[in-house]
Formats: sequence, structure tokens, C-alpha cells
Amino acid sequence: MDEDKVYEFLDLYRNPEQFGKPKDFDVEEEGFSESCGDNFTVYLKFDGDSIRDVHFEGSGCIISTVSISKLCSALRGRRRSSVPKMGIDDVKKLLGVKTISMSRARCATVGLDAIKLAVEKTGDE
Amino acid sequence: MNSLNVQRLRKDFPILKKKVNGHNLIYFDSAATSQKPKQVIDGIKYFYENLNSNPLRSIHYLAERATEAYSDARDKVAKFINAAPEEIVFVRNTTEAINLLSFALPLAKDDIVATTYLEHHSNLLPWFNLRNKGVMVEIVDVDKNMDLDLSYYEDMSEKTKLVTLSHESNVSGTINDAKKISRIAHKKGAMVLVDAAQSVPHLPVDVKELDVDFLAFSGHKMLGPFGIGVLYVRKSISNQLSNFLSGGEMIKSVRLNDVVYADLPNRFEAGTQNIEGAYGLGLAIDYLNAIGMRNVEKYGHALALELFEKMGQIKGLEIYGGKSRNFGAIAAFNVKGLHSHDVAYFLDKKGIAIRSGFHCAQPFVEDKLRVNGACRASLYLYNTSHEIDTFCGELKKIVNTYGRG
Repeated sequence: MDEDKVYEFLDLYRNPEQFGKPKDFDVEEEGFSESCGDNFTVYLKFDGDSIRDVHFEGSGCIISTVSISKLCSALRGRRRSSVPKMGIDDVKKLLGVKTISMSRARCATVGLDAIKLAVEKTGDE
Repeated sequence: MNSLNVQRLRKDFPILKKKVNGHNLIYFDSAATSQKPKQVIDGIKYFYENLNSNPLRSIHYLAERATEAYSDARDKVAKFINAAPEEIVFVRNTTEAINLLSFALPLAKDDIVATTYLEHHSNLLPWFNLRNKGVMVEIVDVDKNMDLDLSYYEDMSEKTKLVTLSHESNVSGTINDAKKISRIAHKKGAMVLVDAAQSVPHLPVDVKELDVDFLAFSGHKMLGPFGIGVLYVRKSISNQLSNFLSGGEMIKSVRLNDVVYADLPNRFEAGTQNIEGAYGLGLAIDYLNAIGMRNVEKYGHALALELFEKMGQIKGLEIYGGKSRNFGAIAAFNVKGLHSHDVAYFLDKKGIAIRSGFHCAQPFVEDKLRVNGACRASLYLYNTSHEIDTFCGELKKIVNTYGRG
């Protein structure tokens, strides 16, 4: 029932932060959820060991869109080494919820998985 | 809508008494799986308490009873679709039935399999898998009303060896004219497979009248248990099929260098079968027969008309079904400005169960509906007018509160 809180995010769903393809980025990666039809692309710009900026575009449900939007905002300036360790608990923290039902777990992580892949792809530099 | 006594039959479905999130359950997800009457639920318990044993093998009392139960179930299924008992192969579900055929049919390089845009992934992927041995897969298109382009069949190549189509689409609800398509396909020398997962539960299906070669359906969508499905195989062409799974009970005699295989249906039923499932499916068929499939069809049709009419009055909805020449009580839709999962979530809070997402028909949803997911309300014989009203009322509230119509 905790998920109800997510629906406070309707404004962010309509006007998400960090939305749109930036002019300058180092890597892009797609996030897709077969059962939902969520389809996002994330764009990352690095600055040495840290993430200078993250943007996304695409569409999905409220949970997936708000999760990816909040992740993008939160990861700006963070060290890239912090990304591979992140999981659904970090997304829950960002959303301010304690639980996410099994059927919606994929919604919450579709963005994170894409960001992880993007970081992995660029490897250690 | 008095072709059946819905209030009386609802009493047979214990789950319909449940409260979900504080509301009476409204189950509008029968295209995914139907609910089960107590006659089926209690029957499965009866099976394990009175008949349980491995049929077709041992000769003791219980084995005899289990063999009888399994054989009676096959007879009931056969009669239900006007086939001969030996033409009924028990499988797990429609997916397994179609996969079985994709392995068993004599399809070779340059042969064409014609499937359609309206299909569930289970009637696409088994054929896509044959591409690696040179089989070509063609997709019959649909028009804006979600009706199949019948001219494809008139004009199709002589190389088309199999025409396969759903009888009723699980997304658009379109009921295809399988009889007409079968007639054209046979004239061209192709075999015909019908995915009847969404039609057998809802309307009388007669394989002789449709004149199809193969027909597949699942028990769990027609009041029966999970894990039991049916593949009808026209007896006269069964000798053209190769084996699928090999093992116990699909043989007449096994010597180390000489194996004689069993005839239809045993040849396709290797290993110990789902006897409980077959027995339960037989009971589901008894239940449907007692109501009468003509009545089930009439009632479903009335529900479909009412559902589409009432949903049509809600501004802020996009409705994708209800336009084809013939359709069932399956309504795919979206609330403008909302993702289907969110709509399903809001409805669930009111005790209303619908499906959302791609419905295992991603090519159709993406290419034809041009959306990344849709809601789907699918009704069955235990649903009521009153439930349609409640559903539409809640939908209207969602549109007004969260939609962007």
C-alpha cells in the first residue's frame, strides 16, 4: 500500500526532471520492459571518475518514469563506481517508499538497469 | 441478458465472494485465466481422494479407475468440439500444442507458414524458430477495424504449407472467420491450424464445421485447471506428423534396434500425463454443457455489446476493440495520458482486476494499436451488467482525476 505514495509523483510524471536527449553525452543505453512496454533511453556524460550529467527520454508508467527521473537527478556528480552497487533499495529510498510489489519491481528498476549497463559499457578509464 | 441465470451460477464460483482491497472483487481478466466453479475445485479433491493412480499402466483397481477417468475426459473433450476421441491429444496448454506442431509438421526450406498480426506470441515464435531451417513466415495484415485481410489467403503462394490463425484475438477481441479461411487455404493445398484459446471457452466450436486440421486450446481459460490443454489433430493427416517428445506410453513396442510407435493420440503423449488436469477439464466441460454453449455465446455477446457501448460514452478513453465484424467481450483500451499499468493499479485499489501491458502480442500492440501497452478488460459468463457499470464508473473517476483527455 506503500506504493500509493508513488502516485503523489503525478506532477513529476507529467514533467519529469532530466528529460530529453542532451547535445553532449558519452554513452547512451536502452532500458526496456517486455511485460510493460516501458521504453527508455539514458544518456550519460562523464567527467573522469564521476558522472557529470544523466538524462533520459522515452515513456513508461508512473513508477518507472518517476524512478528513472529521480535517479538521473540523484546521480549527477556521483562517482561512477557507486552505480554498479545500486539496487532496488536505492530506488525505494529515492521514492520514499518501504515496499514495492513484485509485479512493479521491474518498473522501478528499468531505468537503473539501463544506467548500470551504460556505466559498465564505458568500463574503467 | 437472460440466456443464463448469472446470479445463480455466480454462487458456484467461491472466489467471486472475495473482497479485494475492501471492495467486492470484479474479475475482468478471464482472457488471462478464468475462475473455477466449485464443481471443478471439489472434483480435483475427489480425484485425489478416490481415483488417484497412474493410468494406462498398472492393472489394479485404482489404475483402472484412473484410466477410466482419463479416457472419459478425452471423450468429453472430443464430443465438445465434435471430434473423435483419438483425435484429442492432451498437452499442457495452447502454447505447448502449437510448439508440438512446429516440431511435428513436415515443414522444410522455402515452405511458407502464414500466421497473422492478431497472434499471441505463442503463434508467432514457434514459427519464427523454423526460419533457421529455411521456412518462411508471412504475417497476414489487419485493417483499421482489426479484421484480417482475407485477400491474402485468396492470393497466397502455393508454397504455403500451413495457415495458422487465432479464432479470437486476445487483444482486439476479433473473432476471425476460421471456416472461410480454412476453405480457401485447403483449396490452395495448405493445412490449417486454429488457436482457439479464446474461442472454445466462449462459443460453440465444431472442428468438422470449421473443417480445420488442427485446433489448440487451454483448459484454464474455460473453467478448468491449469496445466491441461488440448491439441485436436485431424486423424487422416496424423501420419504426416513426426514425433515430438519420446518416452513412456507413446510406443507399441521397444527393442534396442526396432521401435514401433503408438497411434494417435498416445504417440504425442509421452510420459505420465496430467490426469488430474484432464479430469478437471472434463468437469469444466460438464459445467459448460449444463449451461449450453449457445447460451454462453449469447450471454457473452450481450456483455460485449454493453461493455463497448458504456465504455464508448467515457471521454478520455482510447478503445481499440469492438469494431471488427465479429468480436468477443475483450476490450483493449487506454486512458489518455496514463500508462496501462497505472490504470490497472488504480482499478485494483477498487477491487477490479484487469490486465495491462502487451498481452503477449507485442507486434500487434506496437505496430497496429501504436501504443506501448494497453489495458484489457475481458469478461466471462459470471460477469454482470452491474459490474460493467461499477467498472465504467471507476474508469470515469480515473479519467477525471489523472487522465489528460
